[in-house]
Amino acid sequence: MERKPTSVGPGVGTPGVDTPGAGTQGPAGPPRWATRLLASWSHPDTREELQGDMLEMYAYWLESLGKPAADRKYALAAIRLLRPFARPKSSNDYSETYSFSAAMIQNYFKIAFRNLLKSKTFSAINILGLALGMACSLMILLWIRDERAVDAFHTNNGQLYRIYMREYFSGKVQGVIWTPGLLAEELKKSIPEIEMSTPYSWTNPQTFSVGSKVHKQATNWASEDFFKMFSYKLLQGTPEGALRDKSNIVISRNMAEAFFGSAEAAMGKAIRFDNRKEMTVSAVFENIGTNSSLQFDCLMTWDAYTDDNRWAEDWGSTDPLTFFKLRKDADPAKVATKMLHLLDKTNRDAGKPYKTQLAMQPFHEYYLNSNIKDAKMDGGRIEYVRLFSFVAVFILLIACINFMNLATARSSRRAKEVGVRKVVGAMRSMLAGQFMGEALLIATLSAILAVLLVALLLPAFNSLTGKQMALPLSEPMFWGVIAGLLAATGLLAGSYPALFLSSLNPVRILKGALKFDSSSVWVRQGLVVFQFGLSVILIVGMIIIYRQVGFVQNKNLGFDRENLVYFPIEGELFNKYDILKVQLTQVAGVKEVSHMTASPASNGNGTEGITWPGSDPNDKVRFTPVGVGYNFTKTMNLQMAEGRDFSKEFPTDSSGVIVNETAVKVMGLKDPVGREINWGKSKIRIVGVLKDFHFQSLHTAIRPLIAYLAAREPQGSVIVRIQAGKTPETLAAIERICKKLNPNVPFTYAFTDQEYARQYQSEQIVGKLAGYFAFLAIFISCLGLFGLAAFTAEQRTKEIGVRKVLGASVAGIVGLLSKDFLKLVMMAIVLASPVAWYIMKQWLQGFAYQIDIEWWMFVLAGVIAVLIAVFTVSFQSIRAAMVNPVRSLRSE
Amino acid sequence: MRRTFLGELEEVVLLTVAVLGEEAYAVTVAQELDQKAGRAVGFSTVHTTLQRLEEKGFLSSEMGGATAERGGRRKRFFRVTAFGRKALREAKEAREALWNAMSPDTLQLMTR
Repeated sequence: MERKPTSVGPGVGTPGVDTPGAGTQGPAGPPRWATRLLASWSHPDTREELQGDMLEMYAYWLESLGKPAADRKYALAAIRLLRPFARPKSSNDYSETYSFSAAMIQNYFKIAFRNLLKSKTFSAINILGLALGMACSLMILLWIRDERAVDAFHTNNGQLYRIYMREYFSGKVQGVIWTPGLLAEELKKSIPEIEMSTPYSWTNPQTFSVGSKVHKQATNWASEDFFKMFSYKLLQGTPEGALRDKSNIVISRNMAEAFFGSAEAAMGKAIRFDNRKEMTVSAVFENIGTNSSLQFDCLMTWDAYTDDNRWAEDWGSTDPLTFFKLRKDADPAKVATKMLHLLDKTNRDAGKPYKTQLAMQPFHEYYLNSNIKDAKMDGGRIEYVRLFSFVAVFILLIACINFMNLATARSSRRAKEVGVRKVVGAMRSMLAGQFMGEALLIATLSAILAVLLVALLLPAFNSLTGKQMALPLSEPMFWGVIAGLLAATGLLAGSYPALFLSSLNPVRILKGALKFDSSSVWVRQGLVVFQFGLSVILIVGMIIIYRQVGFVQNKNLGFDRENLVYFPIEGELFNKYDILKVQLTQVAGVKEVSHMTASPASNGNGTEGITWPGSDPNDKVRFTPVGVGYNFTKTMNLQMAEGRDFSKEFPTDSSGVIVNETAVKVMGLKDPVGREINWGKSKIRIVGVLKDFHFQSLHTAIRPLIAYLAAREPQGSVIVRIQAGKTPETLAAIERICKKLNPNVPFTYAFTDQEYARQYQSEQIVGKLAGYFAFLAIFISCLGLFGLAAFTAEQRTKEIGVRKVLGASVAGIVGLLSKDFLKLVMMAIVLASPVAWYIMKQWLQGFAYQIDIEWWMFVLAGVIAVLIAVFTVSFQSIRAAMVNPVRSLRSE
Repeated sequence: MRRTFLGELEEVVLLTVAVLGEEAYAVTVAQELDQKAGRAVGFSTVHTTLQRLEEKGFLSSEMGGATAERGGRRKRFFRVTAFGRKALREAKEAREALWNAMSPDTLQLMTR
């Protein structure tokens, strides 16, 4: 029979067929689904030629039978030729390289676990170090999350704002968060976008009674809109009806339970306020959690407040905070411009060169941004949030560097494996993937350990920071963060070993011992320097924060704050102060008794009414006024610079004042005692000058003080100087006297030194946290150093043996082994010190009175770092140096 | 040795491969059968038969070079093995023996 080369088929060569890739055929080609079936489910041994044959057949059918028949035949044949369960029978000449075949993956895991188990110390160091770092970051993340959650729970969160004012006083424009009481109503009236608004006063303890039950409760006042704006949960009553009437009071569940037994029982009941007003409980709200910056046990209406405080209806006063809610569709920027000059018409700035402006801040931002800088809200706790975010990253970085360092150092152990793998055909990307995978595996183990650690340590962390955090195990976000942390750590920690190990040249590895080239040693040493640098920064930070907090607490304030008790003048004490004083002085432990407006720990009042000959009427200085009783200076242990204290022997002292040295300086008086100055319209005479003392926290500088005699109408607090060492019995006696004189008010007192320390609470917490984190950072760094030292000692076993045989002493060898590491640590100290100095200098700017950063702080930090490093390294080097050279040299 | 029977379709396919010589692969075999033998044998049948014949040892196969057509896929060329030739010959001889054994009358009847 004649051979026909053309019998391949008339269709071959037609455009529809010879297009490469059957799957990409246009409408002229065979049915795609059939082609795809063939490509994936036909017999693997004949798949290639079969696909080609089918294409040719299709072309042939297309020519001879037409498209529909061709399609049908093609599909039918394809289906018949499916061999879904067929396995390739014969192996090919060479196997295809599957990077991720099951066998290889199994092998990767096997090798990884074997390596983990083979060197338990290294694995433990790696996993523990990473786990500690992760636990640390996780804890800080939880803290940050908690800080950010404050005030974020209100349903209307995006529409809630607070007002602050830019007011002119003491010669410059300053921001003030306190606003006129009339402002809330005015906002609603004049700006249509503002839907609701409320004043909110200063929460302070007030006395309430029901029958014989008397309690002090944190009290505040707000408008009818309050519960409609904010999402405090009402257990009883409605948001609309809660604060409708002047006689209404809304109380917390705790307060309801204390007075009435339960929230249900409290509704509609009467409760006596300040022993003079009957209030009706109109709603009960769930106790306010720590995630709210507004804290109160009960709320009454703003109208009730103004009834008692008529001055609050004056535009000139600044008393409550003002909050408002915008309409949903309102543009905040437009509202901000509308309100800017809203106060102009009230004429509250008569004679000042600057008209008070209004500005707004989103409600929830205040908690983290409560500092006022240059009349703008800027900074505050957010700085600590930022600081600790950095610390979290630092510590995680240190832990990752450990991992990288150890993995690279130990690469000589893995080098043979890498060589063999490469020789049998592993590609670089596969090796990198393998080591990256191992890093991820270790990171996963660490992450599990870290979560357990956090669960274990969270209660301690909570009591330290004064928060109530819990692991949000049910939130997907939490697991997302864990996964993110894991991925970041694994990739970061695994990247360098993966790249380094996979780059090794197989010929060189397999020929002989692995020699590290200088660049990899350089990188490793650089990492150690970086790690210890971070640790040094944290140590310096810890020392400085600790010193500053100590400085603040022990600084001579100009008065003796130890053993100084004060309690508010309230109830019947207003009229019975003289009797009280007589009775108190008879108590054995009481040395002096006096009274003052405000409290000795903090006095933030201000007045601008002081003028003196030569004062500039347009540049008024804000003085801090304080009304004091006789004996005030003696009770406080203040020093007089000039003149005298108030005395009963001088009846004219009712128009006399005592000022402090700062006030004298501000007024520019040469010979102040006896000079007359003006306070408003009345003339007053300076009778004495006090040495400067701190009546506010050290965050602020001492302001001019003016003390006037308020003995006729004592207000504020009674201050009592008691004898050291007799505190309990003296306090008990004072309480007895107060109970007798003032039976309707529970006795509450405070120690000045404790209240004073409270103003530095956040610094103290930060100081403690910095301490813990510095310790952790050092610890993790040392783990890494320990591992590195062990590795070096091991690598140099032979060298040490030879040296010992030739007569080297143990001390000499220890020195030899430690020297290299010490050089690195020293370098870290030198590099980190300026950075630490700069960071801490910034932190100290927040204090008006700050310690100096001294050279010994860096030396101390350096010495600590060196000592710890020496201790860590010597442990290993001594062990290496003690080994009998016979043993180390025997095996050759 | 196990005696392997050559089925009728197998015999035809084997013969076709022999006819096509070096150009024998699944497509040419199927088209040859279609055009010359006038038998409607499906391509899938041809493909499986070729595989079976190879398994039985009547055929050997070899992949050709890469092609520009058919998506660049290679062709599997078949060649009749010595064993295959022997089987074909035996089948032909068995048939001829039967033909020869036929009485002249019957033979006349058949060829008419």
